[in-house]
Amino acid sequence: MHMDKFNRFAVRLLLFGAAVLVVVVAGAAIVSVPASAQGGPARPQIAPDIAGEWRLENNEADTTAQPPLGDYLGIPFNDAGRQRADTSAESIWGTPEYQCRPHSAPHQWRGLGGARILKEQDPLSRDVRAYHIQFMRSLDRPVFMDGRAHPPAWAPHSWTGFSTGEWVGNTLKITTTHLKDGYLKRGGPQTSDMYTMTEFLTRHGDLLTIITSIDDPIYQDEPYVESTTYAYDVTASVNTETCSGSAFAENGGSDRHHVPHFLPGQNTALGEWLKTQDWIPPAAARGGVKTIYPEYRSVMSGSVNVSALTVPSSRSANDVAKRIADQSPKDGDVHVLPLQGNIYVLIADGTNITVSMGPEGVMLVNTGSAQMSGKVLAAINQLANSTVTPPTPNTCFGPNCPGAWGWASPYMNAVISSPTPPKPVRYIINTSAAADHVGGNEKIATSGFFPRGGNFGGAVESVGRAASIVAHENVLNRMSAPAGKTAPAPAAAQPTDTYFDEFFKLSAYFNGEAVVVYHAPAANTDGDSLVFFRHSEVISAGNVFSTVGYPVIDAEKGGSIQGVIDGLNHILDLAVAEYRSQGGTWIIPSHGRVSDTADVASYRNMVTMMRDRVRDLKKKGMTLEQVKAARPTMDFDGRYGSTTGSWTTDMFVEAIYRTLQEKK
Amino acid sequence: MRRMLLLVGATALVASSVVYAHHSYAATYDVSKQVKLEGKLVQFVYRNPHSFVTVQAPDETGAPQRWAVEWAGTTQLGQAGVSRESLIVGDEIVVVARPSRVPGEYRALMVTLKRPSDGFAWGGPGQVVD
Repeated sequence: MHMDKFNRFAVRLLLFGAAVLVVVVAGAAIVSVPASAQGGPARPQIAPDIAGEWRLENNEADTTAQPPLGDYLGIPFNDAGRQRADTSAESIWGTPEYQCRPHSAPHQWRGLGGARILKEQDPLSRDVRAYHIQFMRSLDRPVFMDGRAHPPAWAPHSWTGFSTGEWVGNTLKITTTHLKDGYLKRGGPQTSDMYTMTEFLTRHGDLLTIITSIDDPIYQDEPYVESTTYAYDVTASVNTETCSGSAFAENGGSDRHHVPHFLPGQNTALGEWLKTQDWIPPAAARGGVKTIYPEYRSVMSGSVNVSALTVPSSRSANDVAKRIADQSPKDGDVHVLPLQGNIYVLIADGTNITVSMGPEGVMLVNTGSAQMSGKVLAAINQLANSTVTPPTPNTCFGPNCPGAWGWASPYMNAVISSPTPPKPVRYIINTSAAADHVGGNEKIATSGFFPRGGNFGGAVESVGRAASIVAHENVLNRMSAPAGKTAPAPAAAQPTDTYFDEFFKLSAYFNGEAVVVYHAPAANTDGDSLVFFRHSEVISAGNVFSTVGYPVIDAEKGGSIQGVIDGLNHILDLAVAEYRSQGGTWIIPSHGRVSDTADVASYRNMVTMMRDRVRDLKKKGMTLEQVKAARPTMDFDGRYGSTTGSWTTDMFVEAIYRTLQEKK
Repeated sequence: MRRMLLLVGATALVASSVVYAHHSYAATYDVSKQVKLEGKLVQFVYRNPHSFVTVQAPDETGAPQRWAVEWAGTTQLGQAGVSRESLIVGDEIVVVARPSRVPGEYRALMVTLKRPSDGFAWGGPGQVVD
């Protein structure tokens, strides 16, 4: 029987609606379990064993294969999500920073390689402490069942995120946060790095049903729900794959920093698939929450205008604005994050301070705002006392013990003396002259000590015994004034050691490692620096990189969009991922969460795309106001934009427009 | 003079079976177009999941560019008699390939490869990147 295109699409819509209904009913059944069966690591009434080897049986939309470009059917996209997908280029996977990325978390259950679920048990109680889920081309994914809390917002994100599980009846509910940006489906539909994922795993004999809800308000008007079925299969196996990608770009050309993307409206392939699927209404293929409900039939029949259509949409439970703000909490407090090697991060009322802590003393990258310097110093002292000079129990008795001086044995000293005091702050490095970078300089530097006198003693009268303050000379220029004029900052807060060319390296190791300060020319200002701790594998990125906003570009102080991009590319040139484009060199932004190469690459891509879009509009002869009205940043505004505060989206667009250089 | 020919027209679709790699060929390359690249081999990366041939050839303006041409994985190439030693840097080769969908990108998907000096050829019947 021939079905016209309206009816064929209506049937597909009804089938999809029925699937959604099943999911909703299943979800309702899950959440209607009595409260006594919920929460924490409660035991299920009947403990299903989900461990073992599982083979993909089917999924409702056969998304193991890659959907064609522009197929957004069933995706509750908002306008930003649609533009983000339209302008994404598959070629991005050829760039050095992408070649070894695993499949994104929403796609993992839908790959072809099967799934292995392992149990990690407490050796005494034999309670399941964690499940470990493994897929082909993926990293091990622990699901903690011991009731632990999710990490703070300033903790790094990963490909598998941070997952906790709880039994709700016979269904395992997994909640995942701290995920990196990726894709909802391959070939276009993207996710932000702020989505959360909730999975419901229910075993029915040898079948395992997985219902996944991806909640990404940046790009969706409601959570995206999909279901997948696995079959127990003892012959299934999950292949490991060590990525053999390399630093060579698969995109050709000679620019290793090339960022493939389409300008808005440039991707002409989006409608190609509809040429052979002409029964699908093109408007529905663009996705959107209204298109996935049965009520959309009234739009297709022409009886209701889509703008007037209402649907019973479910709401997001993901408060993205709060979660972004929490990455740099302005709570008047100092939080400590131990990172790697010598490095700790102080999250100090909205600004990150990098701390190198070790036997030679303390080095800070930036000092936070002036009003926080007391709490910052207290946190440093507490950290130093607990990490550098821990109590040392006596292990030797008698006057012949090593280290015995004079008549007293180490035993006596260990009992009657106090621990060696921690070494003071020796160095401060300012990555710019921003108030929240240099605000604590005076108080913290004067609390420290840098031996300047060589053989003549430990102090030079003009600078006292204060710590050395290192910065690019343009930072000093902004903080000082010629003789007879009033300097913007007190002398004790001003840099004591400046550099003027590409980099400045400490003349000797500090805390056992080389520390190199690189200039980022004409980036946010004309005095920005990146600080690389070469043994700890940490880069303190200052304002060049952020996870909470568009880069602040102060054109009046010599900043430029290209300088920011160059600075981000420099970070990527220095940093190395530990495995599968994750971890390895950590990058600490002045504002936002601790990140790695993948995060910086995604941010670099965004900034590059914004530059290219504004440049394209400018080339078309648009005025600044016309460019702003065109909203070139629309698909990233929910993530990085702002209409209020000291740095708005409009200011960012204006900075790009005014500092653009013609493409060489 | 080496020339790059951009052939737009009806061409057969690349193989129907697709390896499940990160990227899809159809999404990455415009399978309705072909480019012809004549130049010197400057890099041959024989690896999985896909090999890459880099050829120095001019773009449409005549400027020399490094074209990264994606090829099959080692298993498929091995079955076709192509080994790591089959191509040597410096070889003059002729490549016909599908161009990237991204404007201005020097990336392509292998359709045929020939080395005129000795007649080495790949891309005959059944030899497609899948």
